[in-house]
Amino acid sequence: MTIPGRLAAPLAPRVRLWTDPRVPGVLAAALLLAAIVVYPLALVLVRSLKVDGAWSLATYARAVAPGNLRPLWNTIWTAALTSVLAMLAGTILAFLLVRTDLPGRRVMRTLVTLPYAVPPFFGAIAWAQLLGPQGYLLRPLLNLLGIEQAPWTIYTPSGVVMVMAIHFFPLVFLTVAAALERMDVSLEEAARTSGAGTLQVMRQITIPLVLPASLAGGVLTFMGAVANFGIPALLGLRARFFVLTTSIYASLNVPDFSLATAMSMLLMVISTGALGLQRWIQRGEGRFAVIAGKAIHPQPLRLGAWRWPAFAGAAGFATVIAVLPIMALVLTSFLRYYGAPLEVASLTTRHYKYIMGLEQVRRAAANSVILASAAATLCMGLGTAISYAHTKAKIPGTGVLDAIGTLPYAIPHTVIAIAVLLAWARAGLYGTLTIILLAYILAYLPFGLRTTSATLRQIHDSLEEAGRVSGAGPLRTFRDIVLPLVKPGMLAGWILVFLPASRELTMSILLFSLRTETIGVTIFNMQDAGYTQIAAALSVVVLLVILAGNLLIRRVTRGQLGF
Amino acid sequence: MDKIIVQGLWKEFDGVTAVADVSFTVGEREFFTLLGPSGCGKSTTLRCIAGLEEPTRGEIHIGGRLVSAPASGIFAPPERRSVGMVFQNYAVWPHMTVFDNVAYPLRLQKLDRRTIDARVGEVLEMVALRGLERRFPAQLSGGQQQRVALARALVRRPEVMLLDEPLSNLDAKLREQMRFELKELQRRMGVPILYVTHDQAEAMALSDRVAVMNAGRIVQVGAPLEIYSHPADRFVADFMGLMNFLPGVVLARQGEQVLVEMLGQRVHLVDRSALAGPVMVAVRPEDLVMGRDGDIAGTVEVRNFMGNFIDYKVRVADRMLRVQTPHAQVYAEGERVTLRVERALLFAAEDAA
Repeated sequence: MTIPGRLAAPLAPRVRLWTDPRVPGVLAAALLLAAIVVYPLALVLVRSLKVDGAWSLATYARAVAPGNLRPLWNTIWTAALTSVLAMLAGTILAFLLVRTDLPGRRVMRTLVTLPYAVPPFFGAIAWAQLLGPQGYLLRPLLNLLGIEQAPWTIYTPSGVVMVMAIHFFPLVFLTVAAALERMDVSLEEAARTSGAGTLQVMRQITIPLVLPASLAGGVLTFMGAVANFGIPALLGLRARFFVLTTSIYASLNVPDFSLATAMSMLLMVISTGALGLQRWIQRGEGRFAVIAGKAIHPQPLRLGAWRWPAFAGAAGFATVIAVLPIMALVLTSFLRYYGAPLEVASLTTRHYKYIMGLEQVRRAAANSVILASAAATLCMGLGTAISYAHTKAKIPGTGVLDAIGTLPYAIPHTVIAIAVLLAWARAGLYGTLTIILLAYILAYLPFGLRTTSATLRQIHDSLEEAGRVSGAGPLRTFRDIVLPLVKPGMLAGWILVFLPASRELTMSILLFSLRTETIGVTIFNMQDAGYTQIAAALSVVVLLVILAGNLLIRRVTRGQLGF
Repeated sequence: MDKIIVQGLWKEFDGVTAVADVSFTVGEREFFTLLGPSGCGKSTTLRCIAGLEEPTRGEIHIGGRLVSAPASGIFAPPERRSVGMVFQNYAVWPHMTVFDNVAYPLRLQKLDRRTIDARVGEVLEMVALRGLERRFPAQLSGGQQQRVALARALVRRPEVMLLDEPLSNLDAKLREQMRFELKELQRRMGVPILYVTHDQAEAMALSDRVAVMNAGRIVQVGAPLEIYSHPADRFVADFMGLMNFLPGVVLARQGEQVLVEMLGQRVHLVDRSALAGPVMVAVRPEDLVMGRDGDIAGTVEVRNFMGNFIDYKVRVADRMLRVQTPHAQVYAEGERVTLRVERALLFAAEDAA
């Protein structure tokens, strides 16, 4: 006898393409997608393969010519070193904070993920204040040692790596912590009952089992580091240390557009290669199937005599990476002048008053708010249209739209800026807010798609079908039933796009011109020109906005998103 | 007049046939059930009637109106059919109160507020949800959500009600209770119900008529008792409750009186078919009488007390038979017993597959 249960084959309701009122909306979304995503990206690819109108690989040959090989190599080694450091710090900390009886674990977990919420170039500014030649940390140290000339400052390749590792290691920490939490404890218990000691279990069972998670986080770090612009720009350029992103920035200033295009393709190859690697690692994780979805809280490992030394180490680390940089920014923003003696008399609020009154800052803030709101709204609108068509209306062919919309996730933002320039600069959009907006939409569309499709998937098909049999047409059902149900998720998604877009630097710096500066560009230029206090004060204001936005996300998603 | 007429309905998904040549009618006040195992096409048939699926071929009439006929390009979307539907997972909208859920179909009809209030009150009274109007679904039990779904389907006074496994998410006790309530509700409303379930006990308890489906086709239509006692084929016999299937040979036949050799014994049976030669004999567990002086010898292997009856597994030669006896009749595990065949059905031997 057949066992009764759910239907064997999923029922796919067929959409009547010619009469369904949702189809024109989907067609519009497809056209937008073609114009905003496909056209610019295809153009970079085609351009990089053409020289004077003929197909050629000469551009690539130029990109890897001896003179240009340096930035490629610098990109790879800094990103690789960053990943290794991030994996070490992230894995060890995850283990300490998830599996041991270390005091203050919960507070420290929030603290160590904080650097990732701070924009990377803010980190660079903060660390320049801490470990620059006159840095809050470096100066007293030098005085103590009686050395006049600092043998090392943050403005070096190793400084770049350090700040990138601090910014990105939370990616490793979070993936490893999640894996440790989902890991089946019985695997370790089985080893214990087989006669293995604590350290043996850790070395032979636990570490090998979380290695895939650590590697996956490491690859994400690598991708982030390869694509990062702010940190190598603010800390590396002074020492004439170039990576691909900063070389592209420099070659656009020359301007040498075809070289920028070719280097963009190199950036793209490295980034997509890393993404492929990550997919491959995650497939390996499934093969071993060590993660048993259940949430058992295993007996925490007793650190014994090591408990307080380990606490001191972890707390010290957390303070240095999370608290000190923010303190440095705040302090600098209130100091009369950078390098002033640290006493109450040196404090002032005049930098804040100054930036509030500065026309350029007001304009940049307005630009950023307009751009980020428009980008968030359009990404969520387009994302909703595509993911609804794909996951709910199941309109044939929309799977392709979904895949295209997710594609920019793997593309470094520098490449996106180049693509947008190629596609729209000649159409009269050069130097406009529109061209920056087009870049933002392209870059953040995957955020919009992922949040909307995750939210839509939670709505069972029958809720819509109940609307239909109650007498509501497809559009009415969408308005009365689907939209109200996805609203909280959509709001969270909107903020998730708005926040990074509102302080974006990498794309804006390549696309802005007079009057279209964004707040990110303004902070970067202020810092670059030596107005450290102004940059710090602006950074503090933006950080407050980010904090408020994250609290809002936590509210609307009841703690599922945000930190 | 028949409220639902389905004629030669076919539904294919990417070359897979889910519904094959299904025809039936549902009368004015009838409780009609589509019964079958999962994947037999019963839900797809229901969804075609609701307009949630578009049939490949065949005609559907609801309340005398042709709503689907692919051959003539006719397809009325669900919102233009006068149906009320109850879903397996209730599909109560979580962002609306009980009142708003039930009032929604009426608001779409743009009725005035007083009429809406009155009619919502009426159906909520009927499903015993009065007083819970302002609650949200998350504040209701599964059974209460079920009633909201029922009220929402009833409120627009549809020509027909379509119920897709509505009781399968409820716990056993509530399910029994809802069975009685559903039947009573239907009698009071006089609305025809097309009901889909995989639970044969549910189908028999509720329905005026049952259509048993298998592999996309209707195998048999009839009153529950008729189907139980005279299943059309081996599949129906098996699906409508427990059945022992044993190979046998018809040795002699005189009208409905047959002499069959089975389990190494000659047994006299009454049989409506005209089968001769090798057959498949189907015996319900309650039609095997257990004793100590019968012809067929066996050994009790397993005994389960089920409350009002006892369920045995009895080994006869190399076969294991299910036997059910009243609870007064107790045999021990390992005890040697005999069996007598009280009643049986004969099916063609090649039907065995």
